[in-house]
Amino acid sequence: MIHVQSLEKTYAGRKGEPPVKAVDGISFSVPEGELLGLLGPNGAGKTTTVKMLCGLIRPDSGQIFINGKDMTRRRIPALAELSAVLEGNRNIYWRLTAKENLEFFAALKGHSSAKVRLEIDQFLERFNLADKANVEARKLSRGMQQKLAIAVALVSHSKVLLLDEPTLGLDVQASYEIRQLLKEIVRDQGKTVILTTHDMNVVQDTCERVIIVNEGRIVTDDSVHNLLDLFKVKVYRIAVQGELSPEQREAFTSMEEVVVEEESSERTVMSVRLEDAQMLYTILGILGSDNSVIESIDQEQNNLERVFLEIVEGRVQSA
Amino acid sequence: MPKKLILLNAFFKKEFILFRRYLINSLGGMITLYVIFLLLIGGYRGFNALSGVAGDTVESLVVGYVIWLFMLVTYQDVAYTLRTEAQEGTLEQLYMSVHGLGWVMSSKVIAGFFVNLILIAVMLTAALLTTGISLNVDLLSLTPVVVGTLLGSVGIGFAIGGVTLVLKRIDSYTQMVQFLLIALVAVPAQRVAWMRLLPCSYGASLISRIMVGGQNIMELGLSNVAVMYLIGVGHLALGYGVYKACERKAMRAGMLGHY
Repeated sequence: MIHVQSLEKTYAGRKGEPPVKAVDGISFSVPEGELLGLLGPNGAGKTTTVKMLCGLIRPDSGQIFINGKDMTRRRIPALAELSAVLEGNRNIYWRLTAKENLEFFAALKGHSSAKVRLEIDQFLERFNLADKANVEARKLSRGMQQKLAIAVALVSHSKVLLLDEPTLGLDVQASYEIRQLLKEIVRDQGKTVILTTHDMNVVQDTCERVIIVNEGRIVTDDSVHNLLDLFKVKVYRIAVQGELSPEQREAFTSMEEVVVEEESSERTVMSVRLEDAQMLYTILGILGSDNSVIESIDQEQNNLERVFLEIVEGRVQSA
Repeated sequence: MPKKLILLNAFFKKEFILFRRYLINSLGGMITLYVIFLLLIGGYRGFNALSGVAGDTVESLVVGYVIWLFMLVTYQDVAYTLRTEAQEGTLEQLYMSVHGLGWVMSSKVIAGFFVNLILIAVMLTAALLTTGISLNVDLLSLTPVVVGTLLGSVGIGFAIGGVTLVLKRIDSYTQMVQFLLIALVAVPAQRVAWMRLLPCSYGASLISRIMVGGQNIMELGLSNVAVMYLIGVGHLALGYGVYKACERKAMRAGMLGHY
């Protein structure tokens, strides 16, 4: 269980520049056994938040509890409860083998190699690294190194796992494998996981809940399912034959909800975000006024990437 | 096994694995030290005037060189570890250890010391056999004095490591420290009382009295050894204090693991 209350962090500005408020009063909780996605554009405050959770950056104010242990006051007991992969494949020693890495990092969390030997073999098996157990990490592929970094975090027996961009730079196959592993970790071991990523497919595929941060504040905290549902019912694509008339174009220009995506002498396609049902009648009325022939009205196939962009750009607020 | 020993054991294992895995590189380091030693002795004998250590004999020069080597590897073990771990991306993992960074670094230094001890001992034996120089190697007396002496270089390592965490790329300055260490070994701490307060200097003079003068720890005087330890602990505490202040600054600025 992770509990974060009113977290704030401001970095001093560089010479002559004003201070930068990286995190501005963030509060959230993650119950045991949940996989939470933390999303946001670059500079939104994701990494600062995760590093404060790890005790690596000192917050200006606010509280962080990891399984009831106060990270801001008593760091060491709280650190026993969590492990993190912050730099992807750089979080391991490249000159040690996969097995040696697992043994060393287990010791760093206070577990002797004798105690975790059996577990290490199981991890290597489960992460498809058994045949690479005695290969130096520098000789492994990037995907394998990334898997090893996650295994290293798991061998510490921590109940909370923080992952910063776990699939960054991986090919489709390696990214898929990592996603499956993450789902297994939560399902089989009941770990509490927070992951930050720019890859919406990862979040859509693995996370139950998502927090979107922008300019240091939480702008959305909802389940992935709800977010997709919320947007699904509102976004339509309307295709009409030929070009719009000048009157129609003027009318749609004044409506924020309507975006003309393509227009040619043969076909015009508009994306319409419906705020209420009445708007659809208004739009159809405008199209009908000049006898435009409607080719199709499709509900747009929605995905988390679109939801993310809509929210971050401030066009729509989630429930 | 207590948790602290688990970590110490892990660092020993890691250091020996890397020593063995990169044996050619390790041997290369040893050969370099040996060649420098021969050049030093050759130069001394050739000019027969320069010694620079507490005493005017070739034995003093050898002892000074060995003390400097120990100080250098100990200093580097702390300062360079902090830098390379930050460069490689593993420093933040060390910070997230349940042992606290103080014990993590102490374990690294202790394990690194023993690996370096092997290198320096082999090099020294070869060098003494080659040059025909004989020294008093009274391990019972030497061990506590060497350990006390090196506390100062660990303190310097922490201070420089801490400054590196904040200022980042200052390699050209940190490399100058190795020359500062030569000066610390060379100062006449036995004769000039205030120089005993410098890091490692008093310990270096006591080591010289054992290895060159043939004295044992009782002849040095336990009170002198105690004073040397007091100075060493002071420098260690000072260096660690500088490090902690820099660490706090780096954590506030969010640049702990950056390099």
